[in-house]
Amino acid sequence: MKRLTNIANKSYSLILIFLLIALWHISVSLHLVKDFVLPYPLDVVTTLYKIRGELFVHLRVTIQEAVYGLLFAIIFSIAFAFIMDQFSVVKKALFPIFLVSQTVPVILLAPLLSMWFGFGMFPKILVVILVCFFPIVVSLNEGLETVDRDEIDLMKSMGASYLQVFKLVKFPSAAISFFSGLKVAATYSFMGAVISEWMGGKEGLGIYYLRAKKSFDINRVFAVVLVIVLMSMLIYYLVAKLQQVTMPWNNKTTNNKT
Amino acid sequence: MHKQMKKILVLVLVMSQLVFIVGCTKEEETVEMDKVTFILDWLPNTNHTGIYSAIEKGYFSDVNIQVEVIQPSEGDANTLVATGQGEFGVSFQESLSMARTAENPIPIIAIAAIIQNNTSGFAGLTESNIKSPKDFEGKIYGSWGTEIETAFIKTMMEKENADVEKLEVIDIVSYDFLTSITNDVDFQWIYYGWDGIAAEEKGVDISFIKLQDIDERLNFYTPIIITSETLIEEDPDLVKRFLSAATKGYEYVAANPEEAVKDLLKHAPETDVDIATASQIYLADEFIADSKGWGYMEDSIWTTFSDWMFENGVIAKELDVEKAYTNEFLPKK
Repeated sequence: MKRLTNIANKSYSLILIFLLIALWHISVSLHLVKDFVLPYPLDVVTTLYKIRGELFVHLRVTIQEAVYGLLFAIIFSIAFAFIMDQFSVVKKALFPIFLVSQTVPVILLAPLLSMWFGFGMFPKILVVILVCFFPIVVSLNEGLETVDRDEIDLMKSMGASYLQVFKLVKFPSAAISFFSGLKVAATYSFMGAVISEWMGGKEGLGIYYLRAKKSFDINRVFAVVLVIVLMSMLIYYLVAKLQQVTMPWNNKTTNNKT
Repeated sequence: MHKQMKKILVLVLVMSQLVFIVGCTKEEETVEMDKVTFILDWLPNTNHTGIYSAIEKGYFSDVNIQVEVIQPSEGDANTLVATGQGEFGVSFQESLSMARTAENPIPIIAIAAIIQNNTSGFAGLTESNIKSPKDFEGKIYGSWGTEIETAFIKTMMEKENADVEKLEVIDIVSYDFLTSITNDVDFQWIYYGWDGIAAEEKGVDISFIKLQDIDERLNFYTPIIITSETLIEEDPDLVKRFLSAATKGYEYVAANPEEAVKDLLKHAPETDVDIATASQIYLADEFIADSKGWGYMEDSIWTTFSDWMFENGVIAKELDVEKAYTNEFLPKK
């Protein structure tokens, strides 16, 4: 029974997607949209298959940028959240700066970074870190602030060190917030890597996209967009799975809804 | 129900009439001008001064055209003009050729050449020692991200038996040529009229290799003015009028570069005055050169270059040159 509901729930979305794609195809064939602005959906898919070889070379580079950037963002945000939780002075000093860092548009920052750091992978990973750091640190910080005080006091009364309190009580409680921030960051990470490549470089999906655009190859352009969408979905799915695995007590499937 | 529907219908009809009345009155207050959007290829520069002068000197309003100049994100003028976002725009012979031969072709046509001869080439710092294509070996080329650039380099290097594999290519977004060749790349493709002059003005020593000096097939029209096939079909008179005013504008610039550049600076005050003036003086001779008149294009240039493009795989299909450009809307000489 639950299985059928699950399938039924997923199929609503699939049906809508199918209808939208059909609408897309019809708009192009009726010339409601010019075909050099919006290609046929089928052409996009066949082009994607055709270029999969050369695309993969660039995809690999972008994945690396996104993954390294995300990992470093996670490490930095956990570290900073830890420090800010321990020392409220640091939190008061740093938090507004973090906030401001988010208001700087990545597209404006990218050319500056390329001036300072060149066109290798480093400035791109830097951009991904900048994009991903804030959602994670903010969510984690909020999670840490709302931990049950009684549990902390209990641990302290048993002589736990700060590190032990953090590891055994605070972080697990804040984990939900952490993962919600991580999901946001993960979705941005791949797109962030692509945009960062627009500052220039040798390889990467963003570079490939610009080249396709300049060659007026609209099929390739859309194929790249499709890959970006799929990759972002994949990363999100992986993070969600990770959450499920590390926090089994939280899974929605334990709700009895049939 | 029936009566209510009738009331609503009357109300809607009255409202729509009101809109028309208000709209019509407003139109009668202003002179009936054709509004035209002109889409640039890049930032406003001395290639575009003819248009700005035509605006300032009233050549456009003389033919009842009101021009708005728009600066797009890089390289989009072709598609924007084709979809009607702009009536006219700035493009390049190679770019238009690629657009017309793409798998989903873009229906744009070249109607005037802004400059008669190709003033572009590869430039780098003198200390990088790039005196001829043979010296490209072992260097880093900062590309604008189009395949044609590598084709140019390959053609030029082959002429001197140099190995194109020994060159590294990085796609860069270069807002400042002088910064990028100082820091990250050894040479780039530039218009001498702008970046070359800028280097002179700033006292930076550069070496410059003009494309057609190495291979005469590489003398193509850049930049050019384009319009869409749709506009030519629907309003050829507008195209003629636009070009008649533009011609006057560019003739004025060719004769009075120092005065004309002020029109550019009025519309783009962030432009460096010294560079712009020096650049405009350099370009003054290039707008008309020894052609029949400003804007006129020769069939041989279109055909030769398009053959080169096809031979070197820059375009996948042969370009139908007859359909790609026309002189018919330029003022008769």
